[in-house]
Amino acid sequence: MGRNGQLYAELNAAWAIAKKDIAIYYFKPNIIVSGALFPLFMFLAFAAGNSAGPSVMIPGLIAITILFSASSIEPVSIPIERRMKTFDRLVSAPISLHAVVLGESLSGFLYSTGIAFVPLIAGLLIFRTPVISIAPLVAGILLTSFCFATMGTLFAAYPTESPGDIMSMLNLVRLPLIFISGVFIPIESIPSIGKVAVYFSPLTYGNDLIQAAYNGHSHFSLLVDVAMLFIFILIFQIFANQLYKRWNE
Amino acid sequence: MNAIEVDHLSKHFGKLVALNDISFSVSEGETFGFLGPNGAGKTTTIRLLTGISPPTGGKATIFGKDIVKETTAARKQMGIVHETSNIYDDLSAWQNLMFTAELYTIGKKEREERGKELLELFGLWERRTDRVHGFSKGMKRRLTLAMGLINNPRLLFLDEPTSGLDVQSNLIIREVIRDLNSKGVTVFLTTHNIEEANVACDRVAIINRGSIAAIDSPERLKTTIQSAQSVEVAFGSAATGRERDLQQLPGVSEVRKEGDKFRLFTRNPSDVIAEVMEYAHLNNTRVLSINTLGPSLEDVFIKLTGLEIRTKGVSTVD
Repeated sequence: MGRNGQLYAELNAAWAIAKKDIAIYYFKPNIIVSGALFPLFMFLAFAAGNSAGPSVMIPGLIAITILFSASSIEPVSIPIERRMKTFDRLVSAPISLHAVVLGESLSGFLYSTGIAFVPLIAGLLIFRTPVISIAPLVAGILLTSFCFATMGTLFAAYPTESPGDIMSMLNLVRLPLIFISGVFIPIESIPSIGKVAVYFSPLTYGNDLIQAAYNGHSHFSLLVDVAMLFIFILIFQIFANQLYKRWNE
Repeated sequence: MNAIEVDHLSKHFGKLVALNDISFSVSEGETFGFLGPNGAGKTTTIRLLTGISPPTGGKATIFGKDIVKETTAARKQMGIVHETSNIYDDLSAWQNLMFTAELYTIGKKEREERGKELLELFGLWERRTDRVHGFSKGMKRRLTLAMGLINNPRLLFLDEPTSGLDVQSNLIIREVIRDLNSKGVTVFLTTHNIEEANVACDRVAIINRGSIAAIDSPERLKTTIQSAQSVEVAFGSAATGRERDLQQLPGVSEVRKEGDKFRLFTRNPSDVIAEVMEYAHLNNTRVLSINTLGPSLEDVFIKLTGLEIRTKGVSTVD
């Protein structure tokens, strides 16, 4: 099999892994709670008493919905598969670890992209919040979803059979991200010590793209936002591969 | 070209030595048994040979492909049936098979034809759309084996294939292994079921504490311990202290009670038969049956692994 043939095999297997996750895990109660309900309650907690209008709050809700939904599938599915030994089936197939990581990330990506439509449509129909520019919205949803899906896959590399172990670690990262990414607190208003951290959060760039779609202005250049999200995706994919390799003994 | 070539393979987990410099080869078309007690290193060996886990030292090739450097090419030749029935309970039997076929990049038409053939072979076709969650242990094991065969492998790894199964599933799986072997498929079978290895394997490796104690055909292994000849006797009546009495007979080195029978180990079975008949006469009991037995593979296994004296303090990694 040539290089193209192997690439096709890898992509085919990655898609098969994503389809399998869709069939098995999308409607598991713990995924629904952590991926769909948790961001909604987080939003309501912050929205109560907040004077910002829907054009600021709706993009923020979309951003945190993506953060939580995209990163919730693999931290649940992979430990369960380790426990059931079905993960061995993936890592013993004639495909590389890249294909496994890609396939797992793909399922989180598709889940999150679908869930992101809920606040998007609610914004349009209930709060009459128009989208000014479609391109940054599409780029923001797709890239942020894939970025956090890969982050979820990266955390799930930790060799445990308990989803709770990974969720605890993941929340230590996810929750602070909300405060340093301009979702509810504008980047300009973040204290100077926090402003450094802003640059290291992928949510900053995803939220910036989505805010631009609704408000027509962004903190960074849109090209910078897109480039940074690509860089984070690449870093997470490479690290995930390394960790699965190291911890798969 | 050998199906498997293992050259000074070792695996360490920290200070624990799971595999200690093992070497062997398996010819194409051979059924090779890997026999050992729990924790001996059987599953570790399979994980190394299938590229799931990297070795600490040494090298292994599958049909000439290095399992570390050419992992994907090596895996394409093999089917793997893991120790536990690792199937997706929330998917149907058909979905499980098709998913595995997709991991091996088998085209739609081919995987559907092959899937139907395998589910019929394993008696699961009627249940193909049922979620696996409701399957019995034997049905799950049969499905696991079907998934291991979906890519028509030249080499099949079977990790404890019949452990704890019902009679029907056992028979189906054994028949399939025989059939595969007749078609030239190489089978690498790990088991702690000695009888399974005895009847199914062309050659057997006995592994103990990460090292290979012996490799040969079952019959040749048995000849290595001729001292383990024995006389098996059943008496017409039970009596206390009989085991101790039999132990006192001249020429008897060991007595084992096995159900309603006694097994007397000796170098000279004919003398022991005469002594047993005389013992029965003196104790007013009848001899219901008496047979001479050669050494079994179990005897070889016990001798080589020192199983009877290993009771405590053994670290297991299997």
